[in-house]
Amino acid sequence: MTYQVQLEIFAGPLDLLLHLIEQSKLDIYDIPIAIITEQFLSYLHTIELLNLEVAGDFIVMAATLMQIKARMLLPKPVTLDDREDVEDEEDPRKELVDRLMEYKRIKEASHLLRELEQEQMMFFARSGGVFTDQQLAPVSDPLKGLSIWDILDAFQTILISLTPSEENLSLPVEEISVKQVMEQILRSVTLTNGGMDFTEVFRDKRSRNSIITAFIALLELIRLHRVIAVQEAVFDRILLCLGPAEEVPM
Amino acid sequence: MNLALARAAIEALIFSSQEPITVNTISDAVSLSDHTVRQLLLDLIEEYRVAKRGIQIVEMAGGYVFLTHPECAGYIEKLQRTPRSVPLSQAALETLAIVAYRQPITRAEIESLRGVKGESALATLVEKGLIQEVGRRDSPGRPILYGTTRGFLKYFGLKNLNDLPSLEDWHVMAKPIKEVTKADEKDLQAGT
Repeated sequence: MTYQVQLEIFAGPLDLLLHLIEQSKLDIYDIPIAIITEQFLSYLHTIELLNLEVAGDFIVMAATLMQIKARMLLPKPVTLDDREDVEDEEDPRKELVDRLMEYKRIKEASHLLRELEQEQMMFFARSGGVFTDQQLAPVSDPLKGLSIWDILDAFQTILISLTPSEENLSLPVEEISVKQVMEQILRSVTLTNGGMDFTEVFRDKRSRNSIITAFIALLELIRLHRVIAVQEAVFDRILLCLGPAEEVPM
Repeated sequence: MNLALARAAIEALIFSSQEPITVNTISDAVSLSDHTVRQLLLDLIEEYRVAKRGIQIVEMAGGYVFLTHPECAGYIEKLQRTPRSVPLSQAALETLAIVAYRQPITRAEIESLRGVKGESALATLVEKGLIQEVGRRDSPGRPILYGTTRGFLKYFGLKNLNDLPSLEDWHVMAKPIKEVTKADEKDLQAGT
């Protein structure tokens, strides 16, 4: 599969780290590095599997995390006299925490801009009376109430549930493109009233490849706002509905 | 020119202009002082507001423009035939937030703040006319510096850069820089 995914919905490794910290309600100034590294690596595994363009950035972050973890394991240098020099020893996590705090501010700033953008889409300027040229209305957030990491999480669960015996079944190789699957998903979402369950997308998928193809197709649909993912409450099932962008060419 | 006619002329000028029109341009056209034009403008804006009209005069990107009232948005949308425009992606918006609050800034600095290399969002933002090259930093390699455009102010309905929502410990750090070219300087000033 040589499909190169360029999805801008993946905000980057700092976004994933913040998500992990917030999800586990951890203190950003006292991150349990071992736990976070482990969680981060499990996501990295999925991201690599999807052959995402952004994978490199995540690998760099994984290396940074492992380096910090190693430095934290090293014994503190023994000082001969009992002065409080040890206090000067910088926390190996400090640089990362600084970056995370800075990134958090960027996210806040981007939320403020998003609000302005949405407000602004309620105003229409003159367009010479041609309605087809009219400035366009706001599109709702395609990921309602959940982040891209929640979707990736749900996908991991599906990957794990795929038993090896199923994968070893010798079936004729299905040659199916992301575009074809996108059309399939759109068709089934259109047919279901009130939203299709996220797991439905993968129901008849047997091989690892077809599951990954289906997931990429779904992400692409979300990116194009043709499908909206909704989660009513945390840990609730994820529902897929038709998005506002109807006629955008794929 | 009597003031009633001047007021009508100002209204006509804003109505006929596709871009936000500046007080300066208006006063040139009606041969009145900036101060008088401003007074008449405020009077007009107030009149539209009080009368609860479907259109209003709004200050934006250093000028004034006629826009519909947000309460009418739903009715206008009923006549939409083209697909809705897609809002900026999260990646693009984060990059834009960095440029807006930290301009002028280089690609490398943006990449390091977002932890993402090969910033493709930058090209998208330049293409959309929301950011532009504003000069080069006097450091090895003379990297390109990016800043927001007047189009950015229009897109978000801002009067100028100081109109950006303020963030705790994160103030607008935009300041004119030496490297900025003449043309860009004009644009920056329109925004400050």
